[in-house]
Amino acid sequence: MSMRIPTLLALILAPAVLLTEGCSSQGPAVPVTPAAQSAPLPAHPDFSGFWNLDLKAPRDPALMAEVAPGTVFMDDTGPVEFPAGNYGGLIPTPAAQAAIKKWNPREQLKPENACRAPSIVYALQGPFPIEIFQSDVFIVMKLEYYDLVRLIFLDGRKPEADFPHSMTGFSSGHWEGSTLVVETTHLEAATLTNNGLDHSENIKVVERFRLSADGQVLMATQEYEDPAVITNRGVRFIAWRRQAGQHVYPYECDPAFAGNYKAGK
Amino acid sequence: MALAAGLGLVLAGPAGAHHSFAVFFNTDTQLVKVTGVVRDFQFRNPHGVITLVVTKGGGQTTWRAETNSPSVLRRRGWTPDSLHVGDKVTLEGWPARDGTRYIRLKSARLADGRLVGQPVG
Repeated sequence: MSMRIPTLLALILAPAVLLTEGCSSQGPAVPVTPAAQSAPLPAHPDFSGFWNLDLKAPRDPALMAEVAPGTVFMDDTGPVEFPAGNYGGLIPTPAAQAAIKKWNPREQLKPENACRAPSIVYALQGPFPIEIFQSDVFIVMKLEYYDLVRLIFLDGRKPEADFPHSMTGFSSGHWEGSTLVVETTHLEAATLTNNGLDHSENIKVVERFRLSADGQVLMATQEYEDPAVITNRGVRFIAWRRQAGQHVYPYECDPAFAGNYKAGK
Repeated sequence: MALAAGLGLVLAGPAGAHHSFAVFFNTDTQLVKVTGVVRDFQFRNPHGVITLVVTKGGGQTTWRAETNSPSVLRRRGWTPDSLHVGDKVTLEGWPARDGTRYIRLKSARLADGRLVGQPVG
């Protein structure tokens, strides 16, 4: 392992370690016994590594079987986008339809919006890689897209009453066999389809992650429900292929980019 | 691309970033191809931008081509030094829906015929 990985890991995990204060993993050091040294491999699969979007991976039947009935499949993963007026089968509520009518795409071209990140609902399916660092207490998922960093707690903790909303929200995960089930709340309102339909801050997201049999493809479904915005439920299937020796790059969005639109006139 | 078209979807050069590719660029029309001299090359997220001076009929016009995210471009063989001011280059891409001289880049080809990095698609 190069020096770069532990350094990056330390930088990324620093805030997470603070958040895990009080967990047994942060307590006094426990002497390692011979039995512990020869402990068996972790019971759960290890998702750690660099993963690049794989649009050729077929939908995983096991994951798709877990999708709740009546959920519409959103077939826009990766570089595909729905054109204006097409929400991939999602049915906007009257309130959402009213908001769509007011949506002005030119607003997206302003400097204050040029670097506005989407929430994980739209960001995770984008054609950018992710990098995962995994422990027994939490998982860190770093998205290249907009430098988003997710923490997925595995210790059963709940968000504090005043936990803020953000583009990554609060994620709690647990294992169901070899599948990681993640529930996310506290997301800031952001786009669902990048064409005028936004989710609210009350959206609830359930994701299931599992590895392919050969361990080279990470597969996920991302389901969401948001009764204030859509009358049905949606799900995307996303897959990434493992690529050894790579890392996500800094995104460091530059809002000055928006000046190019004006110059194009 | 065929699959996307069949589903009534639009292929975004890359990631519906801050703005919507499908809303701003027209994929239902012919690609635009322009040849000119590079006046500026920005290689920063959310998109790189190539500014091109096109000379035709004694007059000059300025075109801009928006690229994929540079972090994506790096994995396609692009670097900040892929283009330099003064390079003659031919750009091909999807036109802006508003009719401005602004395209979403599909490919860039140098005067000697070499492609710059790997094209989209």
